[in-house]
This record gives sequence, structure tokens and C-alpha cells, in this order.
Amino acid sequence: MSDLDDFKATYFDECSELLLELEEQFAAIEEGDRSSDRLNAVFRAIHSIKGGGGAFGFQGLVGFAHAYETLLDHVRDGRVELSEPVAALCIRANDIVADFVAAAKDGTELEAGYGAEEKHQFDALTSGDPDAAGEPMEEFDIDFVPVMVTIAGAEDDNDVVAEEPLSLAVLDDAFEAPPLAPEAGHWIIRFTPHSELYARANDPLLLLRELGTLGDIKVRAVLDEIPALADFEPFGVYCSWEITLSSDTVTEAAIAEVFEFVEGNCDLSITHGEAPVAEEALDAEIEAMPSFAELMAVEDEPVAAVAEAAPTAELLSFADLAESLKPALKAAPPLMPPPLKQAVPAEEFEGENDRRSGAEDRRNGVQSIRVDLDKIDRVVNMVGELVITQSMLTQQMDETLRARYQELVRGLEVLAQTTRGLQDSVMAIRAQPVKTVFSRMPRLVRELATKTGKKIRLETIGENTEIDKTIIEQLSDPLTHMIRNSADHGIESPEKRLAAGKNESGAIRLSAEQAGGNILIAVEDDGGGINRERVLQVARDRGVVGPEQALSDEQIDQLIFAPGFSTASEVSDISGRGVGMDVVLSNIKKIGGSVHVKSWTGKGTRMTLRLPLTLAVLDVMLVKVAGSPYVIPLSSIVETIQCARANFSRMPTGGQVLQVRGEYVQVVDLASRFEMTTEVERDNRFVVLCEAEGGVKVAVIVDDIIGQQQVVIKSLEENFQSIEGIAGGTILGDGNVALIVDVQGLKSATAAHKSAA
Amino acid sequence: MRVLTVDDSRTILAMLHHTLSNAGFEVLQAEDGQKGLDVLKNESVDVVITDINMPVMDGIEFIKNVRASGMHNSLPILILTTETSQDKRDQGRAAGGTGWIVKPFDPEKLISVIHRVVH
Repeated sequence: MSDLDDFKATYFDECSELLLELEEQFAAIEEGDRSSDRLNAVFRAIHSIKGGGGAFGFQGLVGFAHAYETLLDHVRDGRVELSEPVAALCIRANDIVADFVAAAKDGTELEAGYGAEEKHQFDALTSGDPDAAGEPMEEFDIDFVPVMVTIAGAEDDNDVVAEEPLSLAVLDDAFEAPPLAPEAGHWIIRFTPHSELYARANDPLLLLRELGTLGDIKVRAVLDEIPALADFEPFGVYCSWEITLSSDTVTEAAIAEVFEFVEGNCDLSITHGEAPVAEEALDAEIEAMPSFAELMAVEDEPVAAVAEAAPTAELLSFADLAESLKPALKAAPPLMPPPLKQAVPAEEFEGENDRRSGAEDRRNGVQSIRVDLDKIDRVVNMVGELVITQSMLTQQMDETLRARYQELVRGLEVLAQTTRGLQDSVMAIRAQPVKTVFSRMPRLVRELATKTGKKIRLETIGENTEIDKTIIEQLSDPLTHMIRNSADHGIESPEKRLAAGKNESGAIRLSAEQAGGNILIAVEDDGGGINRERVLQVARDRGVVGPEQALSDEQIDQLIFAPGFSTASEVSDISGRGVGMDVVLSNIKKIGGSVHVKSWTGKGTRMTLRLPLTLAVLDVMLVKVAGSPYVIPLSSIVETIQCARANFSRMPTGGQVLQVRGEYVQVVDLASRFEMTTEVERDNRFVVLCEAEGGVKVAVIVDDIIGQQQVVIKSLEENFQSIEGIAGGTILGDGNVALIVDVQGLKSATAAHKSAA
Repeated sequence: MRVLTVDDSRTILAMLHHTLSNAGFEVLQAEDGQKGLDVLKNESVDVVITDINMPVMDGIEFIKNVRASGMHNSLPILILTTETSQDKRDQGRAAGGTGWIVKPFDPEKLISVIHRVVH
């Protein structure tokens, strides 16, 4: 419905403009300006109001406007004089039109017979006979047959979009003639185009194609008129056609309608019941005809040039028509026979109503369906499970089994391949090119360049690389931050760049590529690189780094992702608010990715996002706590340490901390956290050092580390209920359920515990 | 396929645009004949749909000019008009119009008429 409402809104807007224009024009007319421009403008305004009103079926409005328009037509061509009373009538008519428009807009009804008096006067004026007036009012309403029509293409919207009030005046016979009783059998159509037909861009081929939609047709080109080459006129018309149409349902009117547009520009005869054209005779004729190529081979250049210059403008010969046939052949192969024979349109082609629309063909070319994302996700999940089961099966095949069941091994290999293929295909459904995000960046860079007064160009590479739709949606913010950072902190001012011997305009390169099971997205600039001294200084000042702590260059570079960290000498409104890069890190971690930064002093900085191809399958480390399996997302794990070698310290509050390279990290024992008891001795247990959102580390103590694997995430809320510290569940290859540890939740839950205690 | 629509009514232009773009056409617009000619100078289109009653340059003049340019002899031009009277239509055809569409148009018929005159 909204489309129609939009059109109506446009229409009413237009009407108010047109009514305003009517007022202006009549103001000038009243002052004595009776120029044809004024009268034409008035006529057009009423005409437009009527035309649009017709589209929406505003019958009262259309009826009145039509009568008024007729008067105006008479006035502008002088049949009716624009006397004072007539001008006064027109001004009153304008008001009535305005009332009709307002009523249509508000959906209210005007009193019956509103404007009838004025309409009567119009009719009297235009018919030149006051007594003849009176009937037309009825006539309108009878002629006005609204037809419900839906707008083509709006398949998902079956609302009635437009009504088709049929024309008010006499309809064209060919279009609307009452259907005659269909006559079975053959119709013989003889069709000889005149040169005007071609001058109006009508094309016999299209008419033949249209005829083909009515039934089986056989077409014979009548080539008797083609003169000897010496007498051949390039723009002459020599060809005519004889078509036999076989159909049980077609009427003469339907055939005539095909030729509606060329009426008067051709000789046409339609007769019923004659015998079809003999095909053998046709074939013989085809053989006898020289091809256009043969004709052209002995032709001198001027004629060839003319033929080339105006291949379809005017008919040269049957062979020229062949040229015009080619595109149609490509567009609708089933309609036409293969080449060469196409040169002689004495060929049979079948009409297929449903094949003739080019738009339809295009739709058939690239078909698509809309599917709920949920449904795809279900498939993605199941395929994920399949992948895991398959890899579990493969792992179970030890050497002995391999040797004994070779067929099974081969079968498993095929299964592995098929599963991978299936996984790729399913992922491809969810995948979208990163272009959707990349395309927003040029504008951002332009804005940043303007704001900072720097010269920056953006290069994008690999924008067709595809990633999961959900990941793409999460990419926009991090990328924006990264590019802002590059523009603000990375790229130097033009003066500085010139002084450093660089091109005065800096470059930011945005690239995407697939590397194994990951997508790498890099933002690279050719700016000054990270100022490590200052970064370290700020980090020490803010206590992010201990005073004694020595850091490698790489560790310093990573500091820019620390929460609340900003090195901009003054806070800029672009990226120096101290938030930004830590947001990048946490956003990217949320979608299971990681961020890496590499910087070259004076040469530039490269920040790389490593993203998983999909969110449905998670890379995890499988651990054991009190005999139960748990999984920890690999993306949050920094390192693992044997408890025996770990440096624990007891806090005065009773809590424990772990000292890792001069950093104190909160310890969470999963067993006690989840209220379980473990038999495993302390020294045989492991510390999994994890990094939560914002770079805060947590040391998670588990009984054992089993290994890495991929799992499919199952929501806990959907199947049970939300639990703090648990992000979800998964089913392992052996059928056991493992819970996914939520490092972030673990950390905050523990913190809450503490503050409550 | 590209269609140039020439009409001084925004409503009609909007409806044409909706119908045609839904059917897969690329739609160019002009508000009068002169602007239509300007578009044709720079753009190539497969079919033109034009109104008759327009300010600046009406549809008949527009068609005459298109044909007279010699550049668009085989460009189908459909006359879109509420004028059902034979004389307007004949004037349009005499000027070089290929066919016509009666306003208010039935969207399906509009598309089918276009397919009658375009490859």
C-alpha cells in the first residue's frame, strides 16, 4: 500500500503547485494578458490534475476536470472566446477543482451534483448549443470503468495499486474492440511495410514476434521485389511477409491489435481459413537466395558504408533484417531458429507467451529467493556439527583400524571432502563481500582530510572478499575507528611529509584477504609510525605499565589498544578522546577475532584484523574441570602455564593473584567457581591465562588441557537458562555436552562476588 | 534496458519509475521535451516514453526533433497521453512516434507495450 500512498502524496503535492499556478495565470489573464502561453499553462495544469486523478480513480475530480479541460482547449484554439463571463467561470472552476482535490485528499465526499452547474455551462459553451448540454454528466460515469490492477513486479505486495479508469472519449477500436468469436484453424496475414513504418522505429521482426505469441506461426518472406543490385536502393523497402498463424483461440481483432501501431504504414490483409504455405516451396526458395554476405562481397564501398550506417533505420533487404534479428535471437533463443536460416525469415517459430518478456528473462537469469536468516543459521549449525562429527570420526581411526578397514577409510575421506564442500557452500550463503563496509570509507576519509587539513587518499584492495554477514555488520565501527586513527595520528601534515621527503598526500590502504580459515583486514598508512617513546611515557604516567617494566617495541605498539589510552597531544574531535582503539579491540574480540599492530618509525603503521570466516563455529580449547569438559574460546586465551611453575601470591583479603611478567592477574579456579570439587592435585593443574574485554587478564585454573578443536555454539538461554560465567554450550564429537566459559562474565561475576563479600 | 520518461507531471514520472524499475528497467527522467533532448544528447536509451502536453517543448515537437537529429532513427518512442482522440495520436505518429500508451496506464500493459517495440 505504501507505494500507492507515496504516489498519492506526490500527486497532491503536485496538485497544490498546479492550483497555485492556475491562480497566478488567471491573475495575469484578468489583467488582460491572453497570450497563448498563459492559456497553454492553464490547460496543462488542469490536464495534469486530471491525468493523475485518473490514475487513482478520483472519478468526480476527473469528470469535472475533463469538462473544464475541454472548455480550455476550445478557449486556447479560439473556438470559445475568453470573455469576462467565461474567465469568471474558469476562476470558479479552479476553486471547484481545488475542492475536488481537497476532498480526494481527505477521502471525503462532496455533495452530490457539486460542480454540475458549472459543468453544464462548459458543455453548453463547447457544444455551441446550450440545449444539448445536460447528458454528458451521465455519460462520464458510464464510460468510467475502473479496473483493478496490481503494479507489475511488486510481488510481495498484492495490494491493489492502481485502478484503471478507461478513457473518457471513444476508445481505439483495435485496442478495445469486443472480442469476436474465436475461429479455429489458419489465418493468413499478408504484411507489406511502407518506409514510414521504419521511420517510426517500428520493426517487422517485433511484429512477427508478437504474432508468434498468439499461436503457431509460419513466416514466409516475400522477396520477389528485391531488385538487381544495380537498382538496389539502400533505403528502399523491398520485403514483405506472408504469415500463417494457426490457433484455435485467436480472433481477427487480436491479430489486428498486433499491427495497431503500424496501421496506415503498411499494407495488411488478414484472411481466414486458407491452406498453410507449403514448406517445401519455402525451402527451395531459401536455397536459391544469395546471402547478404554474397551480395556485399561484390558491392562497392559506398553502399556497404550506407548499409552499415543505417542498418535498421530503413530496410535494405531481407539480409539486413537478419542483422536486426540477431539481438532478438540472443534474447529469446527458443523463438527463432539457428543462424543463416535466420537470414531468411521464412522459418517457423513458436510463440511462447511466457518467454517473451525481456524483464522476465532477466529475472530467470539470476534467480534468488529470500530466506529467513534463522533458517540459514540452522543449516549452518547442522553443517558445523557435521564437520565436527566427521573430524571426530577421522581422529578415531588409528593405525590398526586404518589397516583393517581400508574401504571405511576411503569412505571417510570422501565424507571429509563432501563435508568441507558443504560447509563452504553454506558459508557462502551467509557471506557478503566486505565492499558493503569498505564503500562507506572513502567518504569518511574525505571528511577526515577536510577536518585535519591533511591530504589523504584511500586505496582499497580485495573488496570482493567475502565474510559472514554478522561479522560484516560488526566491522563498520572498528574500521571507522582504525581509519580515523590513521588519519588523525598516522598521516602527518603536508608540510611535515614534504620535510620528511614524502609525497605530500598520505595514503591509507584498506585491504581484505582470505588466509586459511581467517579473513585478514588491514588498515595501513604511510605516516610517521607509532611514537613509541611517547606511548610508553603516557602508559607509565597512567599506570598502565609499571615503572620498572621493560617492554619490547611490539608490546609498546599494542599499548594503543589499552583502555582509555590516547597519545594525541591534544584531544581532537576526531579520534583523540581516549576511546577508540580499545573499542576496536573489544569489538573484534566479540566476533572472535584479534587485532595486531605493526609500526615502522617514519614509514607507517599497519593494523591487521584477523577474523573468523564465520561465527557459527568457534575455535576453542577443550579443558577438564572436576571430570567435566569445558571449552574456552581460543581467541581469548593468551597462554597456558602449568600450576607448578606459576607464580601465585596470596592477597591479604584471601584472594589469589598470579604474577605474570611483572603483572598481577586475578585468579579464578573454575572448580570452586562452579562449586565443584576436584581430585586433581594443585601442582598438576593448569592455568589458562585469558584476556577479557578491554585487555584485562584473568587466570583460569583448570584440571587438564585436552586440546584445541572447533565447536558449534548452542545457546544456553534457549535450552536452559542464562548462567553467569557461561557463554553457551556445545555438543562434543563423543556426544558429551561441554559448557563454553565466558571469560568476560567470569571476570565481572568474580568482581561482583568480591565487592559483595 | 534503459528507458527515458518525459512528462511534466511528477506523479506520472514517479509511477512510471516505479513500474519500470520494478520490471527491471533503468529509468531516466526529463520534465519536458527540451530536457528530454538534452538527456538523449548524452545518454543512450533503448526506448522513450513521452507525454504530449508539456511546457517548453511538447511531445510532438520533441519527437520531431529526435527524429530530425538523425541519431535516433531506430529508437522506439511511445506516446503516453490521456488524449484518446485520434488526432493527437496521429500527430504523434506523423512526427515519428512508434506507438502509444493510454493514460492512466495499466502497469502490465505498459510493460507489454514496451516489449512490443523494443528488442
